[in-house]
Amino acid sequence: MPNKSGNAYGMTLLCPIINGSKNHQSYADIIRDHLENLPLDSASPMAKVPNTYLCRFYVLNDVFYEGYPAKEEHLKSRYLVFSTNFHGEPDEYLQGMWSHALKEVREIWQYCVGFKAQGTADDFVAYMRKCQVDNALFFNGSTDDSLAEQLKSLYLKQEFSRFVYENEGASDEDLQNAFMEFVKRTDPENLNGPTWVPGHNE
Amino acid sequence: MSNIAGKVYAMNVITPIKWYRVWINRLIFWLAQTWVFRSKLNGLITLSLIHYARWAIVSPSQFPRLDESQPKETIKYTYMFFFSNFNGSWAQYVDSFHMSIPSGLNLFWHKNIKYPGSVPLQPFHSYITYNQIWTNHYYTAYPMAASNDVKAAQRIKADLLSFMSETKGLSAYDFREKYNGLIKARQNDISLMKCTPIVSLAAAEVEKRRARAAG
Repeated sequence: MPNKSGNAYGMTLLCPIINGSKNHQSYADIIRDHLENLPLDSASPMAKVPNTYLCRFYVLNDVFYEGYPAKEEHLKSRYLVFSTNFHGEPDEYLQGMWSHALKEVREIWQYCVGFKAQGTADDFVAYMRKCQVDNALFFNGSTDDSLAEQLKSLYLKQEFSRFVYENEGASDEDLQNAFMEFVKRTDPENLNGPTWVPGHNE
Repeated sequence: MSNIAGKVYAMNVITPIKWYRVWINRLIFWLAQTWVFRSKLNGLITLSLIHYARWAIVSPSQFPRLDESQPKETIKYTYMFFFSNFNGSWAQYVDSFHMSIPSGLNLFWHKNIKYPGSVPLQPFHSYITYNQIWTNHYYTAYPMAASNDVKAAQRIKADLLSFMSETKGLSAYDFREKYNGLIKARQNDISLMKCTPIVSLAAAEVEKRRARAAG
C-alpha cells in the first residue's frame, strides 16, 4: 500500500477551492494569505494535531506549461494541497485534527468546495478522504514510531549528550551518582514527560 | 511563503505526463516496491537526509470534483506530484539525488514531458526549478532535528533503557565499565542538537521580518 510505510502514513490531498472572491480578493488568495501568516513551530496549528511528523500546505494555482511542442492547458479550479506525514491510521488522524484544531481547520478550509464548517468530525473525515489522492510511492527515510516516542527519544538524546559532555573525567562514584540523578530527572520510560513539545525549537 | 522549517526543506514538484504513457510510470513505481528495481533505488536509502518523500500520479479524472457547481477539469495530461522533506539546502539535495540515484531518477520521471535526464546536472536543475511550487505553510514536529537525529535518538533511547536495567546494583567500577561500552557503541549518535544554521538568507530575512511584525 503506497500510502503507508510501516506505521507511518503519507497523506496527499487536493482540496478544490471555490471559484469566487470576497472584498476583491479571490478565495484562493485569501487562503494563501492566511496560510502564510500562520504562526510557526510549536505555535503552528498543526502542532496541536496528534502524531503529525511533518506537513505542508500550498495553493496550486495552475499546472505548468512546459513549452513547445507540449500543449498548454489550465486547471478550472485552484486547489489547496495538503500533504502530511503522520503515525497511525488516516481516519483516526483526521478525527484528531478536527477535535484538536477545529478553529484552525475551519479557517483554513472554509473556502473549499464541499467543506462543511458546521459539520461533524465524521463529515470532516469523509470530506478529506474524498480529496485524497493515492501515492504511487511513499518513502520513509526516518522512523515510524509514534510522535510521543520520537519526541521523548530526541529529548533523551539531547539530555544524554549533555550528560556525557558534563561528566567527562568524573570519578566512577560521581559518574554513577550523576547517572542516577539523570534517570530521576529525565524519566526515560515515561513518554508523557519530561519530553519535547511538538515544534520545539530552542 | 517558506520552504524551510528548522532543519527541513519542503520540495514540491509537479510535472506532466502524456496519458498513454502513464501506465508505464505507474508500473515503474509498483515495481520499485519489489525486488525488480530495488538495486536502482539502493542509493535512496543512503540519502539519509530524507525524512519522508512521496510521488503521487494524478490523472485528469482523479482531480477531486466535489460538487456539480465545481467546473470539470478539461486537462489532458496526467500530473505527477512529488513531495520531499529533507535536511540541508536545495542544491545539496538535488545534487545528492543526481549523484546517488541517477538511473532511479530517470525511472521515476520516465518520459515526463521535457524531462532532460538526471545527467548532466544543469538541465536537471533547471527542470526542477521550473516545475517547483513554493510552500505556504510548513510544519515539522522537531525543527532542531535532522532525519539522522531522529534515527540516532531511537537507538540511544533503546540502549539507555537496556543500560539502566543492566547496571542496577552494580559497583561504581563495574558501572563505569558498562558506561564506557555504551558510549563507545553510541559514539556516532551522541551530539547536541541546536537551532538550524541559516540555510537560506531569504528565509532568514522573512523570519526576522515576521518576528519584528509580531513585536
